[in-house]
Amino acid sequence: MSSVWMPCGDYHQSYAEDHGWWQTRFIKFKMLLLLAVIFVIIPQFLSGYVMSVASMVGYTAMGALGVQLLIGYTGLVTLGHAAFIAVGAYTSTLLVLQFPWPQWIMDAGLAYPISVLVAGVFGGIWSVLFGLPSAKVKGFYLILTTMAAQFITVDFILTQYVSRIGGRGQAFSLPPGTIKVGPWVIDSEREVYYLMAVILTLMVIVLANLLRSRVGRAWVAIRDNDIAAETLGINIVWYKLLAFFVAGFFAGVAGGFWVSNTAALSPEHFPWFWSLWLVGVILIGGVGSIHGAIFGSFFMVVIMELLQVGVIPLADYFPKLLMSFASLKEMAFGLAICAFLIYEPNGLAYRWWQAKNYFNLWPFSY
Amino acid sequence: MSSTRIEITKDLTIPKLFVRQCKKFGKNKVAMREKEFGIWRPYTWQDYYDNVKYLSLGMVSLGLKRGDKVAMIGDNRPEGLWAEMAALCAGGIGVWLFQDCMMDEVKYIIDHSDTKIFVGETQEEVDKALAIKDQCPKLEWVLWDDPKGMRNYDQDFLLSLKEVQARGRELDAKEPGLFEKMVEEGDGEDICLLFYTSGTTALPKGALLTHYNMLTMGRNLLDVDPCYETDDFVSYLPFAWIGEQMMSISCGLQVGYTLNFPEEPDTAQENIREIGPHVMFAPPRLYEGMTRSVQVKYIDSTWTKRRVYEFATKIGYKVANLKFEKQPVPWYLKILHWLAYITMQKKLKDHLGMSRLRQCYTGGAAMGPDHFRFFHALGVNLKQIYGQTEIAGISIVHRSGDVKFDTVGTPIPQTEVKITEEGEIISRSPSVFKGYYKNDEATRKTLVDGWLYSGDRGFIDEDGHLVVFDRSKDVMTLSDGRPFSPQYLETRLKFSPFIQEAWVIGDKREYVTAVMCIDYAVVGKWADDKKLNYTSYPELSQKPEVYDLVQKQIEEANKDLPGPAKIRKFVNLYKVFDADDEELTRTSKLRRAFVEKRYKEIVDGLYGDTDVVHMDTTITYEDGREQRIKTDLRIQEIKV
Repeated sequence: MSSVWMPCGDYHQSYAEDHGWWQTRFIKFKMLLLLAVIFVIIPQFLSGYVMSVASMVGYTAMGALGVQLLIGYTGLVTLGHAAFIAVGAYTSTLLVLQFPWPQWIMDAGLAYPISVLVAGVFGGIWSVLFGLPSAKVKGFYLILTTMAAQFITVDFILTQYVSRIGGRGQAFSLPPGTIKVGPWVIDSEREVYYLMAVILTLMVIVLANLLRSRVGRAWVAIRDNDIAAETLGINIVWYKLLAFFVAGFFAGVAGGFWVSNTAALSPEHFPWFWSLWLVGVILIGGVGSIHGAIFGSFFMVVIMELLQVGVIPLADYFPKLLMSFASLKEMAFGLAICAFLIYEPNGLAYRWWQAKNYFNLWPFSY
Repeated sequence: MSSTRIEITKDLTIPKLFVRQCKKFGKNKVAMREKEFGIWRPYTWQDYYDNVKYLSLGMVSLGLKRGDKVAMIGDNRPEGLWAEMAALCAGGIGVWLFQDCMMDEVKYIIDHSDTKIFVGETQEEVDKALAIKDQCPKLEWVLWDDPKGMRNYDQDFLLSLKEVQARGRELDAKEPGLFEKMVEEGDGEDICLLFYTSGTTALPKGALLTHYNMLTMGRNLLDVDPCYETDDFVSYLPFAWIGEQMMSISCGLQVGYTLNFPEEPDTAQENIREIGPHVMFAPPRLYEGMTRSVQVKYIDSTWTKRRVYEFATKIGYKVANLKFEKQPVPWYLKILHWLAYITMQKKLKDHLGMSRLRQCYTGGAAMGPDHFRFFHALGVNLKQIYGQTEIAGISIVHRSGDVKFDTVGTPIPQTEVKITEEGEIISRSPSVFKGYYKNDEATRKTLVDGWLYSGDRGFIDEDGHLVVFDRSKDVMTLSDGRPFSPQYLETRLKFSPFIQEAWVIGDKREYVTAVMCIDYAVVGKWADDKKLNYTSYPELSQKPEVYDLVQKQIEEANKDLPGPAKIRKFVNLYKVFDADDEELTRTSKLRRAFVEKRYKEIVDGLYGDTDVVHMDTTITYEDGREQRIKTDLRIQEIKV
């Protein structure tokens, strides 16, 4: 059965149609409108500040999509996702800065795009490495191995060794003009926003396509009951590692994108808190839904921005507030998670579904 | 959209038309779809043709001769229709049985019709056939199409449809062209269907219908309401009901629209919504069911949604009433109507699967004016149909834009309808049947000089519309000597979502009374909301609160009735009337004479001084088990 609400008179004669994109005219219209908003209205009519916030939402969503895939679709709880983003970010930066690219690639502006792809592959491989224990362990033990990924990668390897490459000390910075895709130099909020929009759209397409294929069904089967999945003939180790690879790939690409946003890089960008944050994003957005990852990112980033806007006028009276904004942020994060777990454990995606149902069932309630 | 009108000549048969349409549409058009495993599997006209051809030849190889009977039973599915068409192509005669027929009905029909081949669907139907095989010496073969549960059946006369088709292929290889020859041999005046009418009084009678009967009836209906080959139709009512034959074969084949078969009978309503048919024909109980579900959902809806619903229905009723009276709709009402359409009606029609509906028909029994108005208020072009099996389906229908909810419309082309001096409705058309099978006496009574005597009382009103009063024997005489139709009262009562069935009594009595059957689901939910405890239907029906609820519904229906016709006393029955207890016909008509005998104590109680009736009866379950019931029923009086 098709998963979307079909109006009367729309039906499917094959499974291909049944799993198709944009099954009704209304959905087609809605999605085209959404694309128009993302690619035309926001970049053309809104301020740089809004775009930078939107880029932050996109970056969070890129990470959250990977976490969603692992936790929400395959049931592998991970608390080390920031490590894979970091691997991607460092891979991309080092490739751009240190790799002896042939001149024609530099001229064509392909160094950065290639480095982002390689970052994805590296992130994926690194993720699979730490996903290997998932063949044997589940639950809390798997959480521990993913946390190990965080500390081994960021706090040990990156901080102690990788960030010293080139003798630059702790932080890398990318000179202006090094980040370009073909002739397109990414040097302003608008360019970063466009890059984010393209990457995020591609990621959503890839993930949504994977989820409606055999691979996606295998993941969901493993999540729901791994033993039953295995009896159905699913090679669960292979599919779990594939989930780790895809999530790691997304993380690596996200890391590659992050570089374009900051033009600088340091291990502090990828604290363990960020891994936790991404899990919080999908809890708030809704576990097991692509919408959820995006809604959650939107909610978290926008709430934090509003918090900042709210705190600034208060700073005159309580000067310490600005100083301890980080802890305020953590408090708000904790509060939001608690509130969602109590009042809406199914997340924002469920609310969205309810809102759609309210109108789909009109004028009745069921 | 295109509609090619097919001329019906005397030598045209259903198989000839079938072959012609298959050649015309071939692989490019979907002939039927069946919902299976979540999707609507299409079968093209070429698939349809191949399946029918080999099935037909297979039946011939099993010894089917021209004029032999093939009985079919099962849910609506492509295989059922293929079997029917295959039998017709081989010159056989199709006999359909209701899916839920009890054993003795099956036995009677199989035996009486001299059936040679029995086509069942699953193990269930095969078991029925096996049980009666010894008592029906003419039955030679039993075929089935669903292998579930059939592994351990090894009788020689059992064959799957696949095996029959394989035999058909062998025969085709041996004698190519045989199928086409068989089809060519047919003549329009040959009998094609033997239709057993359910009969409210006696044993079923087998009506003999010819190809010409069926095709002319379809042609004449299509002349009134054209259909197009791009249309969709959902076939979910039993093929043993003439209405379904008329839509699927008589009209369907001529137009070439796509037939859609639901996944299961239980999912029919949902499947209709998915397909969104362009034309629909169903007995009133289905429309009543829809109205009831809408009313119940409305009660359970939220405040905002209820207000919108109320606004839209109010406007809808206003506009519908103006249309019934053939008055122009003022401009401000048109705007409000548009508003009602976009805020509610469009969506509600979508829920009911009526979004694409051009016209829909109801027939087979009387439909209450309230239900009728309800659908018109929604903007659904619902029309009444009147006819009998004996006239191949229908003779009278409403015309679009000329619908009156208390009439059944005007005759279709080539059809004459008259009222005899006694007030009986008689009709004549090319579709009038040939007679009853092995029952000359009944034929003589029903067919006089080519006129079909319906046994219904009615009159023709000033606009030339036929008004059907009731079955002649059911018309009541009130205390003041006025004739009155109990069916009219019952349909009014059934407009309440809480009432599933009603039986109104009062012929030549001092006052009118009613036996009510509550709707278990709806009243049950109502009781849950009121925190009333109950464990079963009998208990729930006897609750004083439920009696008061039912009384309110009756008072509502009593409102616009003349004094003597008002219901004075009623009783809640401990069960719902059921066809398995022979209280209803298979098409859900109340068998008055039977219930009057069966519930004699209740009738006596209603017209006596007592206020409690002691009941001691047995009820029959669908699997044939019986249970004895002892209970007390309370009689409640209504002040009028």
